[in-house]
Amino acid sequence: MKRWALFFLSWVAIIPFTRAEEDVSARSKALEVAGAFSNDGYKIRDGFWAGELEPSRPQLLEVNLFGGNEYWFSAAAVPPARKIAVAVFDEAGKPVDFQTYDNGNMAAAGFVPNVSGRYFVKLTLLEGEKSQFCLLYSYK
Amino acid sequence: MDLASFALARKSLAKIHGFVLSAHMNLMRRLFSAALLILAAGGPALAEEAALTPDQIKQVVRVESVTIPMPGEFFAAIDKQGRPNWTQLVRAATPEATSSRAQIALALGTLVADGYIAVEAEDSQAVKNIGKEIINLAKKLNVSQSVLGRGNSINDFASNNDWSALREELEATQNEVKLDMEEQKDSSLVTLVTIGAWLRGTEITSGLVAKTYTPEAGRLLRQPAIITYLLEQIATLPKGIQSEPLLVSVQSSLEKAKAAVEAKTPSEQNIKDLHQTMEAAVTAITKGSSES
Repeated sequence: MKRWALFFLSWVAIIPFTRAEEDVSARSKALEVAGAFSNDGYKIRDGFWAGELEPSRPQLLEVNLFGGNEYWFSAAAVPPARKIAVAVFDEAGKPVDFQTYDNGNMAAAGFVPNVSGRYFVKLTLLEGEKSQFCLLYSYK
Repeated sequence: MDLASFALARKSLAKIHGFVLSAHMNLMRRLFSAALLILAAGGPALAEEAALTPDQIKQVVRVESVTIPMPGEFFAAIDKQGRPNWTQLVRAATPEATSSRAQIALALGTLVADGYIAVEAEDSQAVKNIGKEIINLAKKLNVSQSVLGRGNSINDFASNNDWSALREELEATQNEVKLDMEEQKDSSLVTLVTIGAWLRGTEITSGLVAKTYTPEAGRLLRQPAIITYLLEQIATLPKGIQSEPLLVSVQSSLEKAKAAVEAKTPSEQNIKDLHQTMEAAVTAITKGSSES
């Protein structure tokens, strides 16, 4: 009985730790992508969005952007995610013209809004299984 | 992910700044990332997507540290309209002593925005002074040693005129203060820091736009969704904080601001009204007056 209790407790302790580790890994990968844009003068926001991404269940985030600024939304997921995509939409939910970068479980979308206001960023798991993700953005 | 594990993940991330924060990323890593992008992508391409459904829009999440822009983004957009004389806008703001934790949190937010102004002005001494004031206020809110260490980083970056790193460090400092507040079960103060920064940032930008108004510049200030979010956050604060005269005044200022920026192109008068409202709100925060 004691052995089972110890086994159970070790899992209770390990699971959140593993998730935290995965979040850190996803964030460091997202920062790797964003870091490339910072060579081009983009400043990386310290804030980030982390969570779980599942097949056929895209995640959507609200952002508020300024007209004339240039933005890159960089995301990464950890295995078993194999391929993800980032997309940008206006306040009405219509897709905007944006550039894409994708490299398996790392992806980014570049966008220059004409007007300030509310926009939505969609993160989709295209290939692979449920996994942790992180998204952050940079601007100039 | 459940809330407990998310909180743990967030906490863990906050404690490894040297690794995860871009301000500390070294040049080699950035160059490696750039090479990785070029090799893997072969250049960017335009994408095609279907429109979001109303149900999807209802499920959109908001994460304050990402959804709400920092003053630096606001100022970057203003710079594109014609670079203002930022030096004239730097202020030595020492908030009046107060025992109200809500007022301290709001004042701390206004100082973060002041930090960005000093960075735009490339005034290293002003950045150091503001950084010191931020840490002084943070101490009054009993934040941890790690936040106090941020003050040293701000000083170091200011001494080296590393303006890009300073922009990131100011936001990182603000986020670390907020994280500490959450750990101390002071989460109600987190929103007030955000509100303080937004009020001061908008005061500055609306003042600049009002001076040389153009419809294009007026449209930069059209951000009603941010104000809606901030008002919703105030509505979730404990009743005791909500009823503080300063909070009642801030709420009223935000409502007036929302009315001023709801039009697709806020008029010159809208922008002037907005500036007047924001100026009064920031003065109330730094001087401790409840009348605006």
